[in-house]
Amino acid sequence: MRVEHDIRFKLNGQSIKVKCPPAYTLLEVLRDQLDVTSPKEDCAKGECGACTVIMNGQPVCSCLVLISQAEGSDIVTSDGLAKNGMLNAVQKAFIKHGAVQCGHCIPGMIVSASALLMRNPNPTRVDIKDALSGNLCRCTGYTKIIAAIEDAAKSRRV
Amino acid sequence: MMRSQIDVLSPQTIDEALTLLQQHQNTIRIIAGGSDIIIQLRDGAVKTEKLLNILALKDLRFIEEKDNRIHIGAVTTYSEIIRSEQIKKHAWILLQAAKQIGATQLQNTATIGGNLGNASPAGDTLPPLYALGTIVVTRNQSARREIPVEKFFISYRKIDLKPDELIEEIYFDRLTRNDAGSYLKLGLRKANAISVVDVAVVLRGKRGNSYRDVKVALGAVAPTIVRARACEQALIGRRLTEKSLREAAKISLDDASPITDIRGSAEYRRRVLGSLVYQALRKAVFEGNKV
Repeated sequence: MRVEHDIRFKLNGQSIKVKCPPAYTLLEVLRDQLDVTSPKEDCAKGECGACTVIMNGQPVCSCLVLISQAEGSDIVTSDGLAKNGMLNAVQKAFIKHGAVQCGHCIPGMIVSASALLMRNPNPTRVDIKDALSGNLCRCTGYTKIIAAIEDAAKSRRV
Repeated sequence: MMRSQIDVLSPQTIDEALTLLQQHQNTIRIIAGGSDIIIQLRDGAVKTEKLLNILALKDLRFIEEKDNRIHIGAVTTYSEIIRSEQIKKHAWILLQAAKQIGATQLQNTATIGGNLGNASPAGDTLPPLYALGTIVVTRNQSARREIPVEKFFISYRKIDLKPDELIEEIYFDRLTRNDAGSYLKLGLRKANAISVVDVAVVLRGKRGNSYRDVKVALGAVAPTIVRARACEQALIGRRLTEKSLREAAKISLDDASPITDIRGSAEYRRRVLGSLVYQALRKAVFEGNKV
């Protein structure tokens, strides 16, 4: 028999309640029930990072978090990073640098990079590579992605 | 059982968790960070009616130093271990291992108790815990048990944890400046790689350039983590030189029984093991305790 719970959490600044099977993943509920499709399901094993969201200030793979474990938490996806229609520094820098090829990995990259800048506003190149080590780009467009994040960090400082 | 049919119970206290475990012991599985069991549930490798979600149990989330021992609560994440000054100072080999597990996202959710409970022979925190001489503390409603980590792992993916018990914490004697220790991992890439072989070494009780207590733990080369006993014996109380380390590292093979899998052949693992043990010993003894 199907089991359902009412789960409450904060999604991109808004308190929400969703009725769903408690053993579904956060990613499944975001995409299939809440129509938030910026996190992608690729590997579903925590290896590719395409499903990365910020949970209570930390980047996590939403494919490896049960919706029950997200109860009461604060979740931010790539689309929640823009404020009042204004893209954040990382999003702007990705556009400026053309740091996108097929685009599929980009929401995850942007979330990981934004989470990095929240806790470390002056990252070194090594810090950036480390923060992105769980995000795979199969077009292998890493050079421009790293340049965009360096630029975003710089633009946030001025 | 379909995942839509699995119930998830999320207790707020340890007592509540132990009561639920007692009540549902034959139909429930514990989930902490979830990075292993969520995949196993999706693959159908694990079937269960209920999950006991202990991730929110704050009382199982701590790193403490008490009486020269380091205590770590079961749902402490790798990120918390990586950021801990106490771990950096007194258990740096665990920090070295935690930093190389998965990547940032995984380190933010995966827990040390989960690594013990999942009992993979390639669990990367396990060789450091063997080398540190760790005690695993388990608990059910009526009793607490303290189990040496080597006894806790019985055989391949089999652990000494009763159906009504959960892992509460682990503890070990802290490392000091006089001790030497290192952890090395051979993966197929730097991030998000499961170990082909990994090695942790701890040398304590320094006298001149020898040590009274030497522990060498090998990962991913046997059904469980194993201690390289012959190698340890060749080092205890001996004057340590490049040559004696090299010779001792060679016999670490005596305690390994690697298999061939997707990450490497048994033959490759045998060839690379001695070299990795040598490098780990060399790093610990001659290069100081750089993290």
